[in-house]
Amino acid sequence: MNCKYACNTVEHGVSRRAFLGGAAGMGLGMLANPLLAKGLNSQQKRVLVVFLSGGVSQLETWDPKPGVVTGGPFRAIPTSVPGIHISELLPYTASWMHKLALVRGINTKENDHGKGSYIMHTGRRQEPANEYPHLGSVCSKLLNEDKNPLPGYLNITPNGSGGQSTKDAAYLGPKFGSVSISDGKAPLNLEKPTGINTEAEMQRHLLRQSANERFYSRRKSAMTEAYTQTYDQARLLMEKRGLFDITSESSKISDRYGKHDFGRHCLLSRRLLEGGATFVKVSHTNYDTHHENFDFHIEQLGEFDRTFATLLEDLDTRGMLDSTLVVVMSEFGRTPTINRNFGRDHWGTAWSVAMGGCGIQKGAVVGKTNATGTAVVDREVNGGHLFHTYLKALGFDSKKNFYVDQRPLPMADPKASPIEEILL
Amino acid sequence: MPYPFSSLKLFASAIVLVICIVSMASGQSLSSRIDTELAKPIADFDKKAAPLCTDLEFIRRATLDLTGTIPTVEQARAFVKNTNANKRAELIDTLLASPAHSWYFAMVLDVTWMERRADKHVPSANWKEFLRNALLANKPYDVLVREILSADGTDPKTRAAAKFYLDREGEPHLITRDISRLFLGVNWQCAQCHDHPKIEEYKQELYYGLFSFFNRSYLFTDAKAKQTVLAEKGDGESTFQSVFDPAKVTKSSTPKLLTRVAINEPKMEKGKEYDVAPTKEIRGVPKFSRRAQIANELARADFSPFARNGANRLWAHLMGRGIVHPLDLEHADNPASHPALLDLLAKEFVQMKFNHRELLGQIAKSKAYQRSSQLPPNLKDPKPEEYLVGAIKALSEEQFAYAVLQASGFTDAERLVLGAKLDEAGLQAKLIPQITPIINALATPAGQAPGYEARVEQALYLSNNTQLQSLISPRKGSLAFRLAEIKEASLFAEELYLGVLTRMPTEDEKKEVVGLFNKKEADKPAIIRDLIWALLTSVEFRFQV
Repeated sequence: MNCKYACNTVEHGVSRRAFLGGAAGMGLGMLANPLLAKGLNSQQKRVLVVFLSGGVSQLETWDPKPGVVTGGPFRAIPTSVPGIHISELLPYTASWMHKLALVRGINTKENDHGKGSYIMHTGRRQEPANEYPHLGSVCSKLLNEDKNPLPGYLNITPNGSGGQSTKDAAYLGPKFGSVSISDGKAPLNLEKPTGINTEAEMQRHLLRQSANERFYSRRKSAMTEAYTQTYDQARLLMEKRGLFDITSESSKISDRYGKHDFGRHCLLSRRLLEGGATFVKVSHTNYDTHHENFDFHIEQLGEFDRTFATLLEDLDTRGMLDSTLVVVMSEFGRTPTINRNFGRDHWGTAWSVAMGGCGIQKGAVVGKTNATGTAVVDREVNGGHLFHTYLKALGFDSKKNFYVDQRPLPMADPKASPIEEILL
Repeated sequence: MPYPFSSLKLFASAIVLVICIVSMASGQSLSSRIDTELAKPIADFDKKAAPLCTDLEFIRRATLDLTGTIPTVEQARAFVKNTNANKRAELIDTLLASPAHSWYFAMVLDVTWMERRADKHVPSANWKEFLRNALLANKPYDVLVREILSADGTDPKTRAAAKFYLDREGEPHLITRDISRLFLGVNWQCAQCHDHPKIEEYKQELYYGLFSFFNRSYLFTDAKAKQTVLAEKGDGESTFQSVFDPAKVTKSSTPKLLTRVAINEPKMEKGKEYDVAPTKEIRGVPKFSRRAQIANELARADFSPFARNGANRLWAHLMGRGIVHPLDLEHADNPASHPALLDLLAKEFVQMKFNHRELLGQIAKSKAYQRSSQLPPNLKDPKPEEYLVGAIKALSEEQFAYAVLQASGFTDAERLVLGAKLDEAGLQAKLIPQITPIINALATPAGQAPGYEARVEQALYLSNNTQLQSLISPRKGSLAFRLAEIKEASLFAEELYLGVLTRMPTEDEKKEVVGLFNKKEADKPAIIRDLIWALLTSVEFRFQV
């Protein structure tokens, strides 16, 4: 799309604030100082979304109902926050509850995988003739600095072909689309072609640059400069490809995360966030437990729990947790009713999301379901409220608009608002 | 032998002749009237404006815009040598009449109308063939649009034309939005839920007037024929509320297109709405079809938004921006930069019976199209809508991909392989598998208006993907192959620059090339590879100048 005007949007204000905050009282020249640049980096806000694909059961995680007909076989255990209990399947995570907040009153009114996932990624219901950008694209647009060689929205998927999904960015423009990291493998085309050694690589880029300089001595435009910059960015990104290589981590560290896919992918997430990534989504599959819900949750959450706690710990010890918004979400929860295959089915009516880190109160709980978990009885929210909450937690006024070709496009669903109770 | 004309006929022809002479005397060609209109708002326009571009710039520009690729080295050299004063106009006519134009413009129309949606019910190949055949026959634009908006997918002869509806899943909101954008030049998307908050003219009632042509339509899959077609119900109102209206007043609309009078809908007796009543297995056919009204309402000579938008889009194709710009955002606060010019183009488009080639040709023959893109020394920051200087336009993905194939000499090599059997279809069969991955690497997302946006993934593809490397590598007839045969450094530089950038190298450029040319013979293949790659990825190749 041509002409992406972003007039009057918060990002101008924010980048200016970030700039003033970081460089207050110092000469501009000091920005070139790498130590200072590092200092600025620690103020950078970033996002980690852990997507439990298929629909994790709220009853086996954040909102257990032990001892009732819908509750299933597992106990609730105390956490590091007095008064908050979660499922016994999450013992490691329970010890990190003081860094997390729970939203227990979600009603997205959607039991379809694709549509539920759309709601959780965009904060909107699917509408004909309208596409909304993913949270990752919005964060890429609002948070990612132009000079960051890493793509603004990195999506670590268990499998798939890799490559870029420009559609995720909808009207924000394709460069804010997601870049898939399929099974942890680096994005496509990060290696220089075979047969081109370092010297030839240098030479061909020098030739390209000298051709461009001759062109620019005659005429230039914002578009032509954006084009040449993508080559500079490409070369910086190629230099960063080591970030995608988790084999450089010690076996002690990779053991802490777990050798399974989710463990490897979370370790990669930590490396990427530490390496300057703005938004990382990592998925754990598959929670779609129509059969044997309880056995499956023991297995799945056994992987999730320890790995997730390790990731929180690493972000915390690196001083990154307070500037990283962490969200654990799913496309929906699972039915309180246990079906005859000991499974639970799709359930968007009363379920939970956990979040923590940047802008989120520590140890807060908002929303409540009834005794059997069949309905929300207090502070019901939907995907729109959650989306507002993420943006506000990151310091943005989620009631503002993006502007595309003079069309005002609300950053989040105007019918919803942030969940203030869990925001700092 | 009887005299072939009766005196009356002779008289009539004489009158026609007189009219022709008068109109030629009073008037100028459309192309020169374009230049007159553009000059009006600016004093001393001709003094301020950039001079016309060089012959080489012109042949590259026109070949790209009218056939989607760049000229061969031979074509470029021959054009420079041609001493005919009228050679630029002749080139335009030749390019427009070539099959390559229809092949290319079918892609342009496909991208404009389908916006790179994935195939759903009508294969892209069939649809492009339909568009191509229409263009080869120079079918008038209004006739083509009527065919598209009339097709429902049931008749095998016109099924391909139904892609516009069918691959939008017959979704009435999507169809409404896209018809408003693509044929009326107004984006009514906001008006689905409320009057546009900033643009007074984009009213919700206008949106639902158009929506009402489609609100009864639905997709029907014939289980036996395994084919999905459009069907329509015989009833169903189109009602709406504004989300801004606290009173939540429900309004309703019948089919009505913008300034046209509302469709006079016959009252149907309840239970007698259908020729074929719909069931799960049977496709409904109402006695009165709302959808069937739209083609004739919209694609007509006396409905000016249609001709204006059509003309504006052809203008933008050549000039890099619309007279109304963006192309789908005409309203009082974003008026045409040259209102009289747009009126003139729209009127002439109707007069020439929506002859798309004719209008493209007239615009391309204007001085405006031929201006150099280099700023004259005394001209500071001209606005693009002043047309004082040639635009720097990003190549479309199709243009870029075809240009890569031509510049690398892949196309030349395939021409050699085809030899005497060379024709456009045979050549395209070789080129299309190669352009597809390049287009995919560069393209905007499905369902969004095409346009240029720089992304790092594109640079990574062009730098590191094996495809470009293999296109560059030497094979009989390719640029690397031809360069390897040249023993003289300055001829080598000329072939390289003419082949990739359609111009002669400057002295500096020659020096750079000669420096590398004189290195060891063993290094030459690598040097040739790197030189071609560097020019293919340079700004000058990615943009039109």
